Amino acid sequence: MDSFFTRYRNLLVLLAMLMAQIVGLAVQVRRTDEGRSTVDPTDAPGVRLIRLWAEAMVAPPERLIHGSKMGVSSFWQNYIDLRHVREQNHDLQKTIDRLRLEQASLLEDARQGERLQALLQFQQRYIYSTVPAQAIGSSGSDQSRVFYLDKGSSDGLKPDMAVITADGIVGKVRDVFPHTAQILVINDPTSGAGVILETTRTRGILTGNASGLLEIVGILADNRIKPGENVVTAGGDLIFPRGLPVGVVEKVLRDPDRDAFIDVIVKPAAHLDRLDEVLVITNTQPRFSPEQQQDLTTSEEVKGAEVEAIKDQLKASQIMAERLPGLIDPNLPPDQQPLLDTSNPVPVAHPPQALHPDRFTPEATTGTVPVASDGSKPAASGVPQSAKPQTAKPERNP
Amino acid sequence: MSVLGANFRHDLEIRRYPLLLYVLVPLTALVLQAWLPRVLGSYAWFDLPLVVTVYFALGRRSPIQGTIMGAAMGLFEDALSHHAIGINGIAKTTVGFLAASFGVRIDVENHTIRLILNFLLSLLSSAIFVFVYRVMLGLDLKWQWFTEVFRAIGNSLIAMVLFPLLDRLLIRE
Repeated sequence: MDSFFTRYRNLLVLLAMLMAQIVGLAVQVRRTDEGRSTVDPTDAPGVRLIRLWAEAMVAPPERLIHGSKMGVSSFWQNYIDLRHVREQNHDLQKTIDRLRLEQASLLEDARQGERLQALLQFQQRYIYSTVPAQAIGSSGSDQSRVFYLDKGSSDGLKPDMAVITADGIVGKVRDVFPHTAQILVINDPTSGAGVILETTRTRGILTGNASGLLEIVGILADNRIKPGENVVTAGGDLIFPRGLPVGVVEKVLRDPDRDAFIDVIVKPAAHLDRLDEVLVITNTQPRFSPEQQQDLTTSEEVKGAEVEAIKDQLKASQIMAERLPGLIDPNLPPDQQPLLDTSNPVPVAHPPQALHPDRFTPEATTGTVPVASDGSKPAASGVPQSAKPQTAKPERNP
Repeated sequence: MSVLGANFRHDLEIRRYPLLLYVLVPLTALVLQAWLPRVLGSYAWFDLPLVVTVYFALGRRSPIQGTIMGAAMGLFEDALSHHAIGINGIAKTTVGFLAASFGVRIDVENHTIRLILNFLLSLLSSAIFVFVYRVMLGLDLKWQWFTEVFRAIGNSLIAMVLFPLLDRLLIRE
């Protein structure tokens, strides 16, 4: 017996290792009610411990690499690439001023919308607070489209929180460790998000395919869906708030398995392959948050007076326009209209007269004979009369 | 079956490396495997832990060591993904064992043989991964065969550079 183990110890070790892993897999995979196999979404404590160890070993070097990269780029941006900063700052300040004006003017509309939604008991969820985070690593496998953030449970992150960028949605938090978090990207085949096509209002489920492309599946063949249509989140999956940009329709394909359905390939709005900085939505609220309210109040205080001043100016100019004589006075005969006032230093250019007057010519329709400024009839040779201003001063009504 | 036996006729030819190298090289491979896809995007057609497993298994010529190293690397990769832990583990355990077993019989100094072996073992690893995922576990896996071929080619190209570099760190007696 001893010689058997000695002789085949290599093979026995191999079999033992394989058997242990197969048993481990059997624990993690379970059958659904429909008879399909699926990996348990919530890791068992032992599995989670292995993931925690692996993450703890990889995360520090990844942070170091990422920190070095950020340090170099920061040095470049802060010390070398400072040209035109003053001009950019000036432009940005202008943009801020303009945006504050716009925000102040939109504030009332937003409040009205909020009131209407409250009246309708419409539970629209707004982004309440976000945590910015840096992507520091990935799974290393194209069969598992996940990446790691440098923020974890200590920063308030929890599973199933939405991850976005300024361009669009990115994915959701799958697993959280003390100082890192694993993010499942929306182009993973196991991912899913409820989306809606902006124009056709068609709803569907967004998921990833084997090539890492985004596709909306389970849509009945609809000729109205065209490339270029915007796709936004539908808000029904309890992960992504409604209305966040997802991407644009790239092409529409027939579902190879089901004739009546189509697959809509979507070009993602966010750069999923080159993610660096992301935002994790840590909380959503059905109303404006106190911070947002404060922002709006600040905006109103800072720029609200300017908006009022602009409104006053507009009102004053309208009153002035009503009081001042217009260019066309209905009470005056045509030859005494203010347009013919020669005292105007910038004379009004008259359009050239028609070479061959017909029934469509304005004067012809009224039945009046066009009269030149000097009272003579227009030249029969067809040479247009000069458009020089009138010499006679118009008479004003008392 | 002599490959599976315990008495190696090549015991005297076992390659030895500084102890630190056994820790640093696999760890570096795992970190780079996790970090480089972020830089290269969808063109990260390589599997550094597999290349390192094949290299050490071929050099050490110990099927047990190759098996353990392959299992450790595979489990580590699985732990970083969101898949069940053990799929890559089974694939790389087998690859580590086979590489060490081949190392007993072939001339590991021959660079071309090592590259060809690396290419073939990469394909085998992918095949085992797909087999375990789809057949054994019955999970839905979307994969493309040409991606696996590209990955095998990528592994061979990396091995072409990495193997001579690691050979320089060999302890010569």
